[in-house]
Amino acid sequence: MKRLRPERWTGQLLAARPGAPPASAGALRPRCVASRPRQLCLSARRQQQQPAWENDNDSFDVLQDGTDHARYPPLERLPASVAGYPSPLPERALKSAKLAALHARLSLPAKIPLQTMARTLVDASADENPQFNNANLAFVGHSLITYHVAEWLMCRYPRLPMNILYSAVYAYAGDEALHQVARSWGVESAAAPGGEVDPGLLQFSLDKPVTSIIKFGYKRVEAAYLEKFKWRRGISSRVVFDDDFGGVVDKTPGVEHEEPEEHEEREDDGMDDAEEGLSPSYTSYGTDETRKLAEKVHANFARATVGAVYAHCGRETAKAFINAHIMSRTLDLSKLFAFKQPTRELALLCAREDFDHPVARLLSETGRMSRTPVFVVGIYSGMDKLGEGAGPSLDMARFKAAMNALKAWYLYSPGDNVRVPSDMLAQDAKPWEPAHIDMGEIISR
Amino acid sequence: MTVKALQTLTTGRNGVGAFILQCKKMDIHYCDWAGSSKGMNGFIKSILPKFAAANPQIEFVVSPRPSKHPVVIGHYINGREKAICVRNLEPLQILKKVELLRDASGEKLRKVNKPVQSVNESVRGVWSPYHGNGMAV
Repeated sequence: MKRLRPERWTGQLLAARPGAPPASAGALRPRCVASRPRQLCLSARRQQQQPAWENDNDSFDVLQDGTDHARYPPLERLPASVAGYPSPLPERALKSAKLAALHARLSLPAKIPLQTMARTLVDASADENPQFNNANLAFVGHSLITYHVAEWLMCRYPRLPMNILYSAVYAYAGDEALHQVARSWGVESAAAPGGEVDPGLLQFSLDKPVTSIIKFGYKRVEAAYLEKFKWRRGISSRVVFDDDFGGVVDKTPGVEHEEPEEHEEREDDGMDDAEEGLSPSYTSYGTDETRKLAEKVHANFARATVGAVYAHCGRETAKAFINAHIMSRTLDLSKLFAFKQPTRELALLCAREDFDHPVARLLSETGRMSRTPVFVVGIYSGMDKLGEGAGPSLDMARFKAAMNALKAWYLYSPGDNVRVPSDMLAQDAKPWEPAHIDMGEIISR
Repeated sequence: MTVKALQTLTTGRNGVGAFILQCKKMDIHYCDWAGSSKGMNGFIKSILPKFAAANPQIEFVVSPRPSKHPVVIGHYINGREKAICVRNLEPLQILKKVELLRDASGEKLRKVNKPVQSVNESVRGVWSPYHGNGMAV
């Protein structure tokens, strides 16, 4: 059984009370009074200790609690006014160990000041003032990321159908992917935003989500009917009206979240699950909606970081940063295709390209009369084999062969190291050789 | 509409593109009374400033833990943490432990049998019984 130490209990209680006599003046080990480790460096622990500095500003003499303050210096004292700000003051960024570590971890150039890094960590839901939150930087970052990803995909896979291209851009630059990127940078989030929070923590509020505009696109006139009547949005209209991922531009800011979320995401501490009125999707990590919001906030932080790199270091560094952190991720594009009528599409392709009409031929088979037959079918156009597929029935094998043939067509690539238009912006770039441009989709929609 | 797009996610591999050091924070606890912390106190005085300057990616938090053995705790990006008790160790031995924590990935230790682990599919492809000339039995 663990030995109880009553003298330490009183020490704990008295240390927190202002004006009290020294807790362990006659104790054997006066240095052991400090019940909680006094942290020499800045850390997140301080964020919930608002009364501490308020007391400090009053008549509370910190030297009275019996602690040797030369040896254990008190925590950083903040002026009482910081509690009035929605986000930490910019000058505090210079003192944050977390922020400096994050800056170094991302190998950011020294040109990017810590104050800007601190600003990328303040979401619009924490501080609505656009001069102090990351909405503007995120807008720049989002535009840069989607531009570089889209131009690279278009040059590298010139025959991708438009909706596959949209899906691929989303896989690289969408909220989920950038959320993963931000997580992999090791950024932690504050329990609640406020002026006293360590500037190195991601600050956002799930109680009053704010839809900050970080995407470009037009609001459709018929937006209200799209959901109601399940209207179809053609690809061409998506190119013109919708956002970079072909999705409908969000409704008017503020209308989207009419009911503020009741439950905020708390990642670090235990939850009181006994709250009333929980939605069925509620877990200890919040509801689906709060998780979606937190995902968006993390993604906006990643975008804002790119925006900050661009603002301070310019185009080339921002491009290198996007290359290193976002475009270096892997995506199997052949997994994005879901064909409905592959044989029809392949026949139309062959007609368009003046190939011979595609013919399916059985290449090999086994166990036709068994429970698990396998047929291997090849699709031929004249003497050229376009694709091959195996399946448990002749039809399935034929469809698979057609799908493989179509994927081989759509995923044509001029090479891994294609030049993209933004390469021309570099100084003394070689003259531009026109990229391969496909004539378009086989069956237009 | 004959081609429908499915939604997937890209997967990142640390070190492909950019490398992020996985240890993000190190808690260093000492006691300035107990003898087991003697080496740790020397480490904090002489070695830690240089080590921290050489590793700016890591946030170092030094705090006393009176009448307890000295401990170094590494916090990792994947959310795990590793703690090493460094009682009665010399400063240079503690440096070894701290370097171990810095270089760890934060994953659980597991046995690695294969020299190469890859998410990329094999270049050669999987052997198929339905292709080639077959085998005479």
